[in-house]
Amino acid sequence: MPRTVILVALSLVFLLVQTTIIPHLAIVSIVPDLVLIWIVYVAIAYGQVQAMTTGFLLGLLLDVLSSGESMLGLSALTKTLAGFLAGYSYNENKIAQYLSGPQFPLLLIAVSLVHNLLYFLIFLQGSDLRWDETILQFGIPATVYTAAAAVIPMFAFARHYRT
Amino acid sequence: MVKRVYDIIVLFKEYFLLAFYIVLALLLLARNETDQVRAIRSHLLAVAGTLQDVVGVVPNYFTLREENHILREQNLTLTDEINRLREARLENIRLYRLLNLKDRPSLPYLSAHVVGATSQSLRNTITIDRGRKDGVLLNMPVVTADGLAGKVSTISGDYAVVQLLLHKDVRVSARVERSRVNGIIRWTGGRSLQFANVPTSFDVQRGDVIITSEFSSIFPAGIRIGVVSGKRAVPGALFQAVDVTPAVDFDRLEEVFVALHTPDSSRVAIDHRP
Repeated sequence: MPRTVILVALSLVFLLVQTTIIPHLAIVSIVPDLVLIWIVYVAIAYGQVQAMTTGFLLGLLLDVLSSGESMLGLSALTKTLAGFLAGYSYNENKIAQYLSGPQFPLLLIAVSLVHNLLYFLIFLQGSDLRWDETILQFGIPATVYTAAAAVIPMFAFARHYRT
Repeated sequence: MVKRVYDIIVLFKEYFLLAFYIVLALLLLARNETDQVRAIRSHLLAVAGTLQDVVGVVPNYFTLREENHILREQNLTLTDEINRLREARLENIRLYRLLNLKDRPSLPYLSAHVVGATSQSLRNTITIDRGRKDGVLLNMPVVTADGLAGKVSTISGDYAVVQLLLHKDVRVSARVERSRVNGIIRWTGGRSLQFANVPTSFDVQRGDVIITSEFSSIFPAGIRIGVVSGKRAVPGALFQAVDVTPAVDFDRLEEVFVALHTPDSSRVAIDHRP
């Protein structure tokens, strides 16, 4: 099966898991961002172009599934940028090392922080919620939860590449 | 010349692609409320909703046992409450006739299953398996047995996205059931709501029930929103800060009801008259 088809299929699977199963794992309304984990994985394994495209399309679908009458395009924007930033880590010779080592969750922390800062900066325009409080209450905990969730695939990759 | 341009594009393809996606995303953000964007959103929701509907069966099994237990308990409580409410309703009808008041029409409700949810990044929305074909329209109120859950924000033929009360764009005209003090319910982060625009001298007590008021052009009056969990005076401010615990448990939404309520157009017209 061509690589693109597999990537698209897996992207849709992660999107569906994010919107159906992941909400059940919420801790005080904070959920891990599985889509972002997937984008960072694509960036490390396939590069910047694929990560940006995955980020844009998945972000757009997330916008459709969650936005109201406004903010369509916000997740597409922030997740494209996340893919672009994460794509700088792409190195054909170090894919296994990055995916199975601490680089994976560490990169996620950096990308997730930038993603959340930009996201809330735009999302909270015209709202009563304060940006700094929101980042502390939601942005940073979501980053930590997402990075913690990324440890699972990291160990899976470590095991996979060892054998 | 063309070859050179092509070479430049290939060399910097990441940057060109990034610029293209950013421009596209910004265009979407800027043109959110056009009919074309609504149509695209509606089609995408139809596809995504169908997929969610299929996958959405999975998490139900995690909570089924506990839910059964809770439902049995609720059944007992509600049976008792129905008996008492029946008496109260008859009394209410007698009093309404006595005072010659205009009777409030009861609302038709449409049950819907929650097939997807987004609690990510403060968006707090759910996707339900009812859409335009079932008579659902934009801004229709969505409730559960416990109270007000939110309002419909996007629709396709078979699915709709509901903005929950825990959403920055949702504001509800509300009042204290006991003292009839009016205010605005809004979300300020976290799992609780705030009853805003209430002067410090007005009578609001901990434990008071907050319901929707007649002032809303979207939500019908009398729907339970939550209970006052605390209040505090804000130094130097005219208004007090009143915290409200929502009646609905937003983490456990599986079945909701869409109130097939559209605002009275003549009332909206007179409300918006300059």
